[in-house]
Amino acid sequence: MTGPVPTEAWVILSAALFAIGGIGVLTRRSAILVFLSVELMLNAANLALVAYAKQWATAGVSVAMSGQTVVFVVLAIAAAEVAVGLGILVAIFRDRLSTDVDVLSEVRL
Amino acid sequence: MLVFAVLATVMLVGALGVVLIPNPVHAALSLVGTLLTLAIAYVVLNAPFLAAIQVIVYAGAIMVLFLFVIMLLNLGDENPAPTQPWIRPAAWITGGLVIAGVATALVTNPGPALDPTAIAAVFQGSGVEQVADQLFGPFLLSFHLVGVLLLTGIVAAVGLVQQRATETDKARAAAGQAGHMPPEVPPMPSVVEDAS
Repeated sequence: MTGPVPTEAWVILSAALFAIGGIGVLTRRSAILVFLSVELMLNAANLALVAYAKQWATAGVSVAMSGQTVVFVVLAIAAAEVAVGLGILVAIFRDRLSTDVDVLSEVRL
Repeated sequence: MLVFAVLATVMLVGALGVVLIPNPVHAALSLVGTLLTLAIAYVVLNAPFLAAIQVIVYAGAIMVLFLFVIMLLNLGDENPAPTQPWIRPAAWITGGLVIAGVATALVTNPGPALDPTAIAAVFQGSGVEQVADQLFGPFLLSFHLVGVLLLTGIVAAVGLVQQRATETDKARAAAGQAGHMPPEVPPMPSVVEDAS
């Protein structure tokens, strides 16, 4: 197969990364590894946005570049989320001496 | 197509490493591999500016922060026994169904083919100017909200860590062994500044 890689291939790859990240969120027991899997899901969404930005080049500069701009915003939000999330994790670890999510299940029904 | 195959293989192997490796440091390094491969994918997809940002902010600042916290907490290998025996097969089956569903939907309904002339006309240079035009134009509100979010993040991170430190100090002073706590997690605010 020659020519440029079709957008569908990138989006299927993105879906695979997202699903693997979701599997990590469901199966990992350490909170920090759950958090790593969430980062993987964020990046999968970014890959789909960048792939569709290229697909929508026919619609003009502003439409195509909005996709890449959203990725930029997602990156900034991920940075803020990681700073707060890891702060919470460190605080929990000091209290419980564990990051196992099963130890932190008091609020569940 | 060869580039795509290599990138996809490395990306998926790294992603599976994040999910399957029991050692947290190795899992984080595996994610760094996936993130760097994603940066190469962004170059292939005509987004060199985002590729640079991906390497600097994600693979650099964010993952270093992750590794820092994993090593600070001195986490060992994860407990391999699942809480519920059904959760692992259920998660893998659901994930497989998601991939199969998206793949089926996209293969049976392919979009229009890529237009090389339009791509050449739209994606010029590094993309910094075009992204900036959007960010300070239609996305101005998001830009301001992200600024507020980053400030909140800095305050929250410092507040979370500092409050605990003073409580520990009080407890130690009460126990008669007054000593100063080492400063906790200093790089957190700096990472937030990097991203802004």
